[in-house]
Amino acid sequence: MRLFRHLLFALNSAWQSFWRNAGVSVAAVVSITLILILAGVNLLLGHALAGVLDSYKTRVSVISISVSDQTPLATVYDFKQQLEADPRVAGVTFVTKDEELQRFSADPRNRDLIANIEGNPVPAKLEVHVKNLSDVDAINNLGRTWRGADRTDPTDYQGDFIARMVKLSAWLTLAGYALMAILVVVSVVIVMNTIRTAVYHRRQEIEVMKLVGATEWFVRGPFVIEGVMTGVLAASLALGLLLGAYRPFVERFRADLFFIPLSYDPRFVSTLGQDLFLGGALLGAMGSYIGVRRFVRI
Amino acid sequence: MSVIAPDFSGRTVISFQHVWKRYPNGTDALRDINLSVPEGDFVFLVGPSGAGKSSLVRLLIREERPTKGKIFVNGVELGRMKRRKLPHFRRKVGLVFQDFKLLPQMTVHENVAFALRVLGESRQVIDRRVARALDTVSLHGKLGKYPRELSGGEQQRVAIARALVHAPRLMIADEPTGNLDPATAWEIMQLFLKINADGATVVMATHNREIVDLLRRRVVVIEDGQVVRDDRAGRYHEALQASALRA
Ligand SMILES: Nc1ncnc2c1ncn2[C@@H]1O[C@H](COP(=O)(O)OP(=O)(O)OP(=O)(O)O)[C@@H](O)[C@H]1O
Ligand SMILES: [Mg+2]
Repeated sequence: MRLFRHLLFALNSAWQSFWRNAGVSVAAVVSITLILILAGVNLLLGHALAGVLDSYKTRVSVISISVSDQTPLATVYDFKQQLEADPRVAGVTFVTKDEELQRFSADPRNRDLIANIEGNPVPAKLEVHVKNLSDVDAINNLGRTWRGADRTDPTDYQGDFIARMVKLSAWLTLAGYALMAILVVVSVVIVMNTIRTAVYHRRQEIEVMKLVGATEWFVRGPFVIEGVMTGVLAASLALGLLLGAYRPFVERFRADLFFIPLSYDPRFVSTLGQDLFLGGALLGAMGSYIGVRRFVRI
Repeated sequence: MSVIAPDFSGRTVISFQHVWKRYPNGTDALRDINLSVPEGDFVFLVGPSGAGKSSLVRLLIREERPTKGKIFVNGVELGRMKRRKLPHFRRKVGLVFQDFKLLPQMTVHENVAFALRVLGESRQVIDRRVARALDTVSLHGKLGKYPRELSGGEQQRVAIARALVHAPRLMIADEPTGNLDPATAWEIMQLFLKINADGATVVMATHNREIVDLLRRRVVVIEDGQVVRDDRAGRYHEALQASALRA
């Protein structure tokens, strides 16, 4: 009962204080809204990038080894068995010359080429699914050194390109984290400052509370709630704006940004909403917690 | 007239032992203060401006910590009291200041009730205790008024009522009559006498010479941060003469 009255007091005081310093409060909400939007866009881009990388990773974790036309079938099967026994390999598919030619001709872009070619120029292939991206290099070496592989073009593996992609994605992830860290610090400082103003406006009340023996956290509580309110309000605004803009943006730019598979993903939107609310509340709580610890002492 | 024996029939409520206070800017506000106040005592702290009376009061409610020495209140050393015990300590002490420290946006009732609301007391408890406290200071008719609608004396009564809702055994006042005309000051002083008669110990810093002389209570003279005189039934001007002689 006492706790309930404390809570009521804190909520009521926080609400009043929020509106008493309406100018500062609104400025803080707007700033944090912008920050959360930035964070949201960061998350959205990160999500899109992760999608690209995922599809790319599954593609590059398959290497196809071209089989020389002179290699006897028995040798190919031996090698296939050897690969399948390798713990790093998830599976091996043998594609015959005919199947490969069919696949090749199925692509409309190759139709002209096929029309001018006689016989079957494409080699048979062993398609190896490697479990881990980091093992692709080793398996590629196995394929290249295999006697039965095509001499001129033994595998389709582009090691350099993959290494660069992996590096780029690592850098982008790091940049994303760095941006997030900066945004967190900035918003915590903004909330701290609103709390400082609120404390200043209520210094008389705080002094009296001290005088009559209110506990330290009783005095601090309303300010922490005010901070959380600021954060949650900003999160709702940011979410509203992001939701309003996300779909039209995707529709408008899908064609221009063809290299990123932009798509509207409702499941991601709901996790984004959760993240924003949690983030807003946490930022508000953190800023005001640090603020009251600095500015409200008994 | 019975004079209380100096060393000390009752329980000791306040004890200063070689207390020094130096502010961060280097001012020595208190120098080697030794003072003992038994339960039920009524002590005036007098002395010229800047002598250190308010500093002593601030140490007494642990708004400041002593630089050296020990202060005991009800047997507890303030310097060792944990921060989270501080509110409980302050609830047992009634505090009254020259500037009343009322909240202007609250009515008389709300101002007094505030001291109980911050403890989460129920409305029934609050109403009952606020009514009793306002009764003690004879302010029952002004419940709904705001501080700006009251005279200085009435505002100080509200502040005293607020200090009384916790039923403190110790009242500490720093120039409670400093802003009041002589007649009103006298009324406020009567109130403190009544509170003292009901059993509370009272420590009051004051410049009010007439009242100190008239009441013939214990007078502790502080000058330049030191206790220069401690009379069981003292007078203000004796105190000043003493210091004039010393000079
Ligand atoms: N917070 C502070 N920082 C530095 N010096 C202070 C501080 N508070 C008081 N002082 C100094 O300490 C000395 C004692 O001040 P104090 O307020 O205790 O005197 P006082 O006896 O209450 O005076 P008055 O009768 O004018 O109220 C003064 O020299 C004052 O300037
Ligand atoms: Mg003073």
